[in-house]
Amino acid sequence: MAKVLEGPGMGLMKKWGIHVPNYAVVTSAEELAKLGQANDWFKQSKLVAKAHEALGSRFKLGLVKIDLDLKGAEVATKAMIGRQVGSITVSQVIVSEMIPHKEEYYCAVKSTRDGSEILVANCGGIEVESNWERVKRLTLEVGQAPTAGDLEKLAKEAGFTGVLVKKMAEFAGKMFACFDNEDAQYLEVNPVVLRESDGELVALDAVTLLDGDAKFRHPDWNFPFAAEFGRAYTKQELEVMAVDSKIKGSVKFIEIPGGDTAMLPAGGGASVYYSDAVVARGGKLANYAEYSGDPPDWAVEVLTEKVCSLPGIKNIIVGGAIANFTDVKKTFGGIINGFRKAKSDGKLKGVKIWVRRGGPREKEGLDAMRALTDEGFDIHVFDRNTPLTDIVDKAVQSKG
Amino acid sequence: MSILANKDTRVVIQGGAAGVNAARRMAEFCYLIKKPLNVEAFVYPPDAGKSNEIPYGSGLIAIPVYKTIAEATKHHPQINTSLVYIGADRAMKGGMEALDDAHIKVVSMITEGVPEKDAKLLGAHARKLGKVFNGPSSIGIISAGACRLGVIGGAFDNLVLSKLYREGSFGVITKSGGLSNEIIWICSQFADGITTAIGIGGDAYPGTDYVSYLEMFEQDPQTKAVVIVGEMGGDLEERAAEWYGAKKRRVKLIAVVSGFCQESLPKGMKFGHAGAKEGMKGEGSARSKSDALKKAGALVPATFGALGPAIKETYQDLLKSGHVKEVIEPATLPKLPKSVEEAMKADEVMVAPLIRTTISDDRGDEPCYDGYPASELINKGYEIPHVIGLLWDKRLISKQEAEIVKRIMMLSADHGPCVSGAYATILAACAGIGLSQSVAAGMIMIGPRFGGAVTDAGRYFKHAVDNKMSVDEFLAYMKKNVGPVPGIGHRVKSLRNPDKRVKELVGYVKSLNIKTPCLDFALEVEKITSVKKDNLILNVDGTMAAVLVDIGFPIDSLNGFFILSRTIGLIGHWVDQKRQDSRLIRLFDYLVNYAAPKRREVPPLK
Repeated sequence: MAKVLEGPGMGLMKKWGIHVPNYAVVTSAEELAKLGQANDWFKQSKLVAKAHEALGSRFKLGLVKIDLDLKGAEVATKAMIGRQVGSITVSQVIVSEMIPHKEEYYCAVKSTRDGSEILVANCGGIEVESNWERVKRLTLEVGQAPTAGDLEKLAKEAGFTGVLVKKMAEFAGKMFACFDNEDAQYLEVNPVVLRESDGELVALDAVTLLDGDAKFRHPDWNFPFAAEFGRAYTKQELEVMAVDSKIKGSVKFIEIPGGDTAMLPAGGGASVYYSDAVVARGGKLANYAEYSGDPPDWAVEVLTEKVCSLPGIKNIIVGGAIANFTDVKKTFGGIINGFRKAKSDGKLKGVKIWVRRGGPREKEGLDAMRALTDEGFDIHVFDRNTPLTDIVDKAVQSKG
Repeated sequence: MSILANKDTRVVIQGGAAGVNAARRMAEFCYLIKKPLNVEAFVYPPDAGKSNEIPYGSGLIAIPVYKTIAEATKHHPQINTSLVYIGADRAMKGGMEALDDAHIKVVSMITEGVPEKDAKLLGAHARKLGKVFNGPSSIGIISAGACRLGVIGGAFDNLVLSKLYREGSFGVITKSGGLSNEIIWICSQFADGITTAIGIGGDAYPGTDYVSYLEMFEQDPQTKAVVIVGEMGGDLEERAAEWYGAKKRRVKLIAVVSGFCQESLPKGMKFGHAGAKEGMKGEGSARSKSDALKKAGALVPATFGALGPAIKETYQDLLKSGHVKEVIEPATLPKLPKSVEEAMKADEVMVAPLIRTTISDDRGDEPCYDGYPASELINKGYEIPHVIGLLWDKRLISKQEAEIVKRIMMLSADHGPCVSGAYATILAACAGIGLSQSVAAGMIMIGPRFGGAVTDAGRYFKHAVDNKMSVDEFLAYMKKNVGPVPGIGHRVKSLRNPDKRVKELVGYVKSLNIKTPCLDFALEVEKITSVKKDNLILNVDGTMAAVLVDIGFPIDSLNGFFILSRTIGLIGHWVDQKRQDSRLIRLFDYLVNYAAPKRREVPPLK
């Protein structure tokens, strides 16, 4: 899944015929001023300026300003650019025209196991969340497109009447076309508003989640994907992502500030069971990490260095199930190099390392880990006869 | 018994290198269970018409590669299963092709990163046709003692340790490839092992769900219990719970669920597989799955670590109730033959090497010349002559010697287009022959009359010096035993038309304060021979030879200096002709003396 920011999300909707307000994404007040001179709408309408970043609760943070003129939008842009919110520095602002309206509606399309669902409500904004039973659904099987009749029926069920039935049906139809053709996994417009000037339905907002795996058939996806958890990726995370994009197999790394148990497990499935075990035993995760698919040892070494660099860690869990084809000796070689580097950089003081693994060349790999004791590492090595997550129990129970 | 994959399963693998690797793993399993290889064909258009060699025991089996599924099933009508290993961008087309073939009943897609929509379309198409589409991102399917599809089960040792050579009583369904082996291993340690283990794939919406397989396991009398390894996100576990609770089921259900950590992690954090969607509090959360499964009567251990004991408990109950009997293990199992490399590593065999080398080794991260890493030589200022010294004479020559070698190379790099080597290269270039062949054509001209006299010149000068011969004695010896003195004489140069190259080289070497006995001797020889005839001068070959012997290069390497330096010129001539787009050369009639008989009548055949 790949989240897309509002600007490119609106761009995709516009491509499929959905009315969106005029908008521009700028990186400076000067850029906005120049655009303002070249495009009349900046001067003719009231404007909204929003920080264009993967940030939750922008309104509360003062990163949304409404009812501005061009000058005001420039001032707001200048004030927002460069603002630091947690790990994010605001680097872009989206400025769009305000659409005067009275009515607000809701429309979304989401992926389901068998196909997709179109959701429509004749209320919108925050009102829709408290009136979720007013949201009506049309379920579609994969490969099936909704007919005009289906969509009009849906609009009627949702309480639309008169000309709005057809308008809402058309709007939902275009949303579905965008969803289907753009390999989206989730599209949401909240609110959809009725533009007073011409009576058209307009998308005032766009939540867009695309299927990153389908990128190969969308050469026009020239925008970056945004982090999905309400903050930007950290430098270390980006560095691991850069390694991940270059290799066969995968390495993944997400930081969780404040934890004391660092994770360096193998395999997407096992890594979650390891994380579960840490939490279940009252430990605090310092990160989420994972390597799988027999990645090269240098990539695992990079991942190890990042894990060892996490502040305040007491334990490192090098867990893993019995691998199908990941070479234990080779990947452990990368981890060992990473440990040695970290140690020579003065890290890993007072840190206990817990290892459990099986798979191709498991004996050689585990022996190499065990030998680290001689180099002064506080390392505890277990083989396949120790149940998967038992090292977590040992680590969390271990004192001093 | 087993489900999906059994002793009658015959497979076509769609894909290239990854598919071949899978076939090798499958062959290892077939060997372990003493059954013939179950892979009948590959479909991989770039290699169509060829065959892939799959090791089986100590032999190799050639499996044909076809362009299409239709061709494969036409030639191998017993094929009933396809494994898809082709890239994510072509996976749907390949999967559809397999599903649409009447012979194929099961398609298991191993490819990762297949777009969600494609996977759903494949799943829907399979359901419409009444077939099974397993995956994408599946690690494979394995039925103990019967059939392995894909790499599930891991390395050969692990197949044995997990007792996959014979049937047990537990079915396994997992989304995580990494955990599949773990569960199989646990089932073999805490119970009697598995019937079939299925990797259904880690994606959000796999082509099949737990329920479709639970239903099959329910119909398989050998399977007494099923272990489900859940994952974060989706509602497959809830559906399984619903199925299990709907009526009394014959199979026992044991399930582990993951994702509890999500409750205490930053909202929206994404884990592992694409299927692990951000935590919803209600449906799809670990807690709701766990609760639903428990409510339906399944055994749900609190942690993954508690899974082993739960399986053990179930097995003990089954033993007590008489539903399963203790398994008697076979006395012997086939051992996978070791490769020569493995056997050598284990000190089990000694192999007499085929060749021996004493000059270079490139098994590390870069080539070493006589032990010195190439990059270190570069970075410490050494040059081409030093590399020649290392590879031809196994020694690091001095800076002064290197300078002499460099000058020899520069002076003999090219002598114009008319000499036999360059002319042959030009002729070949004009005939449209490629670079290496054209250069080789020039190279084979090197012999006693063109550059190939260096070694012999060095040999005889050295012979004379070593045996303290006088010039007269030497000339007499040569006349009696050899003939003309190699290194003496030139076709166009003479005393009146001296060779500047020789003068230059002699002058330089003489200016250094080194001993040059061979060169001195050669110059003495020239004094005598050039009096007899003015073109019997010391030529470039002879000068090079004498100097190189004096600085210690082995006699047998001497022609090499001419070959190496002249190659520079020959390449130049070839490129030159190409650049000019030269036309084919045909000798003019007037350059040939037609001394053949005049035209005459052919006599009748007798």
